[in-house]
Amino acid sequence: MNGVVYLDNAATTPVDPRVIEAMSTCLGVDGDFANPSATGHGPGRRARARVEQAREEVASLVGARPAQVVWTSGATEADNLALLGAARFYRSHGRHIVTARTEHPAVLDACRQLEREGFTVTYLAPGRDGIVEPAQVESALRPETILVSLMHVNNEIGVVQDVGAVGRLCRSRGVLFHVDAAQSAGKLPLDVERDCIDLLALTAHKLHGPKGVGALCVRPEPRIGLVPLLYGGGQERGLRSGTLPTHQIVGMGVAYRIAALEMAADSARIARLRERLWQGVAELPGVELNGHAERRAPGILSITIDGVEGESLLFELPGLAVASGSACATASAEPSYVLRALGRSDRLAQSSLRLSLGRYTTSEEIELAIAAIQRAVRRLRAVAPRGGAS
Amino acid sequence: MATLSGAGSFPAGSDVVTACAGDREQGAEVRLQFRVAAGRVVEACFQAFGCPHFLAAASWLTDRLRGAGPPELEAWDWREAAAALEVPAAKYGRLLTLQDAVRAAARNWPGATGSTV
Repeated sequence: MNGVVYLDNAATTPVDPRVIEAMSTCLGVDGDFANPSATGHGPGRRARARVEQAREEVASLVGARPAQVVWTSGATEADNLALLGAARFYRSHGRHIVTARTEHPAVLDACRQLEREGFTVTYLAPGRDGIVEPAQVESALRPETILVSLMHVNNEIGVVQDVGAVGRLCRSRGVLFHVDAAQSAGKLPLDVERDCIDLLALTAHKLHGPKGVGALCVRPEPRIGLVPLLYGGGQERGLRSGTLPTHQIVGMGVAYRIAALEMAADSARIARLRERLWQGVAELPGVELNGHAERRAPGILSITIDGVEGESLLFELPGLAVASGSACATASAEPSYVLRALGRSDRLAQSSLRLSLGRYTTSEEIELAIAAIQRAVRRLRAVAPRGGAS
Repeated sequence: MATLSGAGSFPAGSDVVTACAGDREQGAEVRLQFRVAAGRVVEACFQAFGCPHFLAAASWLTDRLRGAGPPELEAWDWREAAAALEVPAAKYGRLLTLQDAVRAAARNWPGATGSTV
């Protein structure tokens, strides 16, 4: 990749060539470009068929029925539709929501909007391993709680929450359960029926599909009520108006179909590479793993490196595409709120790296990354007072 | 990162002035050392923890301050490094840490009032 080792697959992934090929059949004049809502003519019906095939493929990966899938522009919109839509629909039942401090901004900012609308939100603090225990959720439930939102895999540290246990708890208490599965779909087994998930947010671009498309799986029986965010043509049973982007949807469907076939082998291989990466960087003194040591997604490794400054570390790694522990690479960068929630100091949060692997990551790239990180850390510590020791 | 000229430290000696500033917890820490003779800096080195601009400015200083005496150190202003290295405004606060270290070196100069050398 232009001489750069790409280890930022948790941010986004390259599109699988098989996905690109399928998408390209929906764009040109000879392809299925027509509006899938225009079912009064053949081209429209063909486009509709492609959309419905993709709906089946996406639903199948997460144990849902096709009719549960509502297309969105991505996981952010799916999260917003789930939280804002459900809270506004059920506000007469109660105005309390439970979530975690380490959720994605798509959830946290939606919760803050709901607070402005008169809802109360409990933000659970995870343990130092990043795990939110089901007992914490249970303790937070109130008679007026209408919704619990918990991500399956944390996007920064990769820890896996026990959504099945939380889902069963919520189901037993009559509380809706929303899960952001942007980082886990197609990488870890997920089943909305088994795990009692009422609202599941999905995206395509974390799974070698295109950007700009996602889905919300909505429990059908009894149907979850949602107030839509968008109004217009009444597509997606009125829940998400707007012309369906056939090529994007088809791309997501193919990406999910491929993931269903290759998830086990891909995840096992990627987890082995991640483990080798961790062993390699851990040869350096002062390197710590962020998050639970075992309950982790296969492709995400978050580390804190004492004795180096985060921006300089990134500057020393021009051959690696990785994410840092701060929101942006400026002097005013806020340390990661996720790492702070785990008890990391601001300085250590800013001295952190997220290395995320994907389908195309090779063992050669992992060895290059290990060597580059070791070299950079040694160089920076060599110029630091006290050799980088605190 | 290109090799940082001036990175390192001098063995302690009567001709070495040392000055520190900043706090690693705040994101910038520097240790400057000057080898002095006849009232002037003859050689300088640094150790630093901070962002790339901070490290680059510390390295630049070790060359810039060669030949300076206590009055020049006391008068040195961070804006000179900001202009020379085109440091973005968001980083100006870190350059103040360098200015603190340079001025502390003037106070630590052999024979200066309150010198700690």
